Amino acid sequence: MPAQKPEYFRPALIAGAVAGLLSGLPFIGAANCICCLWIVGGAAIAAKLLAANTAGALTAGDGAIVGALTGIVAAVADSLISIPLKPFSMDLARRILDKAAELGGEMPANLDEIMAGSSGFTSPGWFLIGLFLTAAIFTVVGALGGIIGVSLFGRKALPPSPPPASAIPPSAGPGPSDAA
Amino acid sequence: MPTPATPRTVRAVWILTLCGTVLWLGAILLAPWLAGRGASGTARFFYALFAPVCHQIPGRCFALEGYPLAVCGRCLGIYAGFAAGLLVYPLARGFSRIALPPVRLFLLLTLPMAADGAAGLLGLWRSPIGLRFATGFVWGTVLPFYFVTGLADLVRTRRDRAAARALEKAATTK
Repeated sequence: MPAQKPEYFRPALIAGAVAGLLSGLPFIGAANCICCLWIVGGAAIAAKLLAANTAGALTAGDGAIVGALTGIVAAVADSLISIPLKPFSMDLARRILDKAAELGGEMPANLDEIMAGSSGFTSPGWFLIGLFLTAAIFTVVGALGGIIGVSLFGRKALPPSPPPASAIPPSAGPGPSDAA
Repeated sequence: MPTPATPRTVRAVWILTLCGTVLWLGAILLAPWLAGRGASGTARFFYALFAPVCHQIPGRCFALEGYPLAVCGRCLGIYAGFAAGLLVYPLARGFSRIALPPVRLFLLLTLPMAADGAAGLLGLWRSPIGLRFATGFVWGTVLPFYFVTGLADLVRTRRDRAAARALEKAATTK
């Protein structure tokens, strides 16, 4: 019988809300520039919270689920916090482009329109499309962070044995890490 | 009874991840390619697609057709490293043995990027774009070993739980 289903939602909600909030803030959110650091970190923390509240050992699959949920929550929080900060973010993007131009890089004339303008999709339709795309990306990245989190913070579980021809041995899924 | 993920499941996850990675890398190149050909509207969409995951500062991006790629050098390194790790995956792990990498290896491969990033943030140095790419690449190579393993295990977990539910349902209807 499989182990009881861990309670994924609570850790994902807490870690996702914090990660999304930090991602949506100007300057601080820039840490997402390193492979969505806030999202990966948030998902890893969610895995840590899950491990603390779960009796048995977590598997990589558990990490993927809690990480993916964290990514979805973070995408919603990020999008919501970004709405009031949109004008500031656009202004910041323009200033960065101006600075880049000052540093001597030869930029095409319409680059400002293409790149700074990319944050200017402001209609409700574009907001929903943006939310969907952000959620899709954060879900994948969050799943990765959750799996890494299980590896770093999860309890040791037996590594899976390859199924022999005659019988399938009882074993958990891939555990926190392959120490061998 | 929990069962290990089958080689078939791991292979399917690996193939899907490979397809997704090719599309992702393609979209990164497509943004400047489209901009260079005057398709500003479509290029704008592709740049916007990557905006949540990268600062896209032009001075820190490689360029194509005179336009910056949709992500910076470090992010490109991470994705290129992910693709390289994914290609190595079947040779290094095979599809029948699934296990997460050792924590020490993860920390070791994270160290160059963390050191480079921290030094940059603290203003100790301004690393060239090539170094950013290289440190990102090194880190990216380990990620598919988590991703493929985790998703294959997720498929296994869901299958096991569905089987348990079906058994439970069958037992209650008897």
